[in-house]
Amino acid sequence: MIEAQNLCKDYALKLKEPGLKGALKGLVMPGYKTIHAVRDLSFHIDKGEIVGFIGPNGAGKSTTIKMMSGILTPTKGRVLIEGRDISKYRKEVVRNIGVVFGQRSQLNWDLRLGESFELLKHIYQIDQADFDRTLEDLDQILGIREIIDKPVRQMSLGQRVKGDLVASMIHSPGVLFLDEPTIGLDVSAKYALRKFIKEINRVRKTTVILTTHDLGDIQELCERLIIINHGVMMEDGNLSEIVDRIAPYKTLVVEYYDESAPEHPGCEMTEHDGNVAKYKFLKKDLTAAEIIADLSNIKTIKDVSIEEAGIDDIIKIAYGS
Amino acid sequence: MKKYLYVVKTQIIKSMTYEFNVYGNIVMQTIIMITSACFWKALYKGQGMVGDVDADSMLTYVVLSSLLSVLLITNVERRIETSVVKGTVATDMMKPVNIFGIYFAEDIGNILALVFQNMLPILIIGSLMVKVPLMADLRDLPLFILSAAESFLINWLMAALFGMIAFSAVNIDALIQVKKHLLRLLSGSIIPIWFFPPGVSKVLGLLPFVYIYQLPLSIYIGRGDRAQQLSQMRIQFLWLVILTGLFLYAQNRATRKVMVQGG
Amino acid sequence: MGKAYRELIHYLDVTVQVIKMAFMTIIEYPSNIAGWLISNPLQFIMGFAIIKFVVASFGQINGWNYGQLAFLYGLSVISHALSMIFFVQGWFMGYYVIEGEFDRYLTRPLGVLYQFFFTNINIFGVTDLIPGILVFIYGCVKCGVRIDPLFIIQVIIILTGATLIRGGIYILLGSTSFHTRSAVDFGQYTQEIMDKTTMYPLSMYPESMQFILTYLIPVGWISFYPVSALLGIDSACNRMLVPFITLAVGILVMLIAGVYFSMGLKKYESAGN
Repeated sequence: MIEAQNLCKDYALKLKEPGLKGALKGLVMPGYKTIHAVRDLSFHIDKGEIVGFIGPNGAGKSTTIKMMSGILTPTKGRVLIEGRDISKYRKEVVRNIGVVFGQRSQLNWDLRLGESFELLKHIYQIDQADFDRTLEDLDQILGIREIIDKPVRQMSLGQRVKGDLVASMIHSPGVLFLDEPTIGLDVSAKYALRKFIKEINRVRKTTVILTTHDLGDIQELCERLIIINHGVMMEDGNLSEIVDRIAPYKTLVVEYYDESAPEHPGCEMTEHDGNVAKYKFLKKDLTAAEIIADLSNIKTIKDVSIEEAGIDDIIKIAYGS
Repeated sequence: MKKYLYVVKTQIIKSMTYEFNVYGNIVMQTIIMITSACFWKALYKGQGMVGDVDADSMLTYVVLSSLLSVLLITNVERRIETSVVKGTVATDMMKPVNIFGIYFAEDIGNILALVFQNMLPILIIGSLMVKVPLMADLRDLPLFILSAAESFLINWLMAALFGMIAFSAVNIDALIQVKKHLLRLLSGSIIPIWFFPPGVSKVLGLLPFVYIYQLPLSIYIGRGDRAQQLSQMRIQFLWLVILTGLFLYAQNRATRKVMVQGG
Repeated sequence: MGKAYRELIHYLDVTVQVIKMAFMTIIEYPSNIAGWLISNPLQFIMGFAIIKFVVASFGQINGWNYGQLAFLYGLSVISHALSMIFFVQGWFMGYYVIEGEFDRYLTRPLGVLYQFFFTNINIFGVTDLIPGILVFIYGCVKCGVRIDPLFIIQVIIILTGATLIRGGIYILLGSTSFHTRSAVDFGQYTQEIMDKTTMYPLSMYPESMQFILTYLIPVGWISFYPVSALLGIDSACNRMLVPFITLAVGILVMLIAGVYFSMGLKKYESAGN
């Protein structure tokens, strides 16, 4: 469905020096340096996948998603969507994609929301019956009818995002790109957005590609993660596989009746605070039950719980390296 | 005062950041200046004095007008409009510094940067390609400097007043355009109003526009006698007083309005 | 052929919708209407008056009398107005580049330049058109021009070419911002230069400048050469040929502008990051 081959993107960045003297120097002899925002990225995405691109700010994930959606021209490499190069056949290929870019709206600010959809109907040459049906379907998920006659400038951010989601799907594209879609949204708007993505993916088999910083988005939506840092791919794979690989441990939390806590030879005690001690162990070597059995041989245990390595650990590790 | 000086300095640095704007502006202004010079040369072909001015003085007028136009670049109306549209007026006006003082300082900083970035290059280019713009009579220099300073203030106050209309009628794009056209056509920046019929130029003499461009320029090229110049400078000063009064009144009203609404 | 025809119908269909929306936007903000209705005609009525004053002070301008100047001025203002309706966004291209507004155009299945200009169509430019037409008709009467079908067709061809020349120049200037990444707006300067070179006879300027304005920055074809031909002022300008030259120059300038724009678009960096 989507094929990225050796994607690279360089920017020229103007060097700025501080102070009046620096400004004057920049005026007479501006200096530039090349930033390699994305270096040699290759991956393949199948139809119906939901793929999350994550990485710290400036890692190159927005640049990547913008190259995939035809906005930026790669310095090297190419993006094929259904076998066709998006930079070469932009007009044909973009018929099959929808785009929602977090802070920026594609809606007409001054007019009622419906007018923006009407324009898209003409741009994508959607016939009236299809248009009505799609709008009806999307309304079922998002409840757009109640705001369709409201001028966009009077809408809340959450309402506007709903409007943008409908606008991006009105022509029933096979691929939907979202760049930090949940940024600034409140809980209920986030919920609506995630529900929308899951629904269109389930019912319409839409391929969804998103960048996000939101752990909730990743946990709820992404079957597959691509982690990028410094423009290089760090990880690509199934969420649980990555968790197993990057963070192959669990933590056992044990509460005793007093403040002394025994060590366990197979674990590392990561914390010992009052009556509570935390034991970190590798999943492949031990099970929690074995440790509990060993420990209770030494000392009476009051309570236990297990902490799974979460996505935030993965992100910490991936971003840190 | 220190705060305002800091704003001035920051603005100087800011306006130097975009070297393309700087060079682009110089190129464009040079083209305009040379076109204007050719325009007047062509009109004066075979003519001596027209409107009490000869071709040579008119060329000085063209170069000086290019230089003066740099002094008259203001940003204040845009700044006010943006702060109204974006809804930051209330917080801006509540700040412990006078927000108009900040805008003024920004404009001053901008102009100071432009003195080196634009005025100097244009003066050199104009002297080489059009004419060295020598003053007709050096004894008029103090008068010229005074009237040019007043020009700047009148222009700034008018811009600020137009900007403040945004407090009531939010979108002032069209109004800014009206003002720009009036200024362009009635201030003598392109064609001095002494070429207009006497009735028209008399009426225009009562409006503030000619005191922004034409007065300092005509003093520079030595048009009219001292008595005429002084009487015009009186009107210029009167306009400065009127506009300052209007500005202070509008500023008070605007502040009160914001305070009442509580932001 | 069938495909090209379907394309054309598609673009026309979108254009109609876009114009509808532009009118709706105007109705949304009625307070603006009065402002533009005053501002735009005002500038051209005053501009026209100034020409009259200049003629009164200096006599004929390089052999052109007042009627001929009115004809020239009128034609120039009409093409200016048309360029304001369709191409004025070119002046602000820098802002669109910096703010990343081209993202939207790039992800839709229509030409980027088409979307840039037409989804921002400036209906208010019509207010420039009216004074232009009035002055032009006044000039026609003063010069005793017979307004017959041939004349009207010639004027339409000239105006098409002239509008394309202006539009092309705006695109060329605007596209520089892809390379410089600055939001500089040369609109005001451009207009000032265009005013001086299209509203007065080009023949009054030195020959080197005439050369530049004929071949390098071909603004001479916007109004000066066509009017010289139509009014028979310069016998070297063929009445039948010149309108077509203007049109050809317009198309050429547009093509060059289009190529330069596409080159710029490849360097487009969107916003953020």
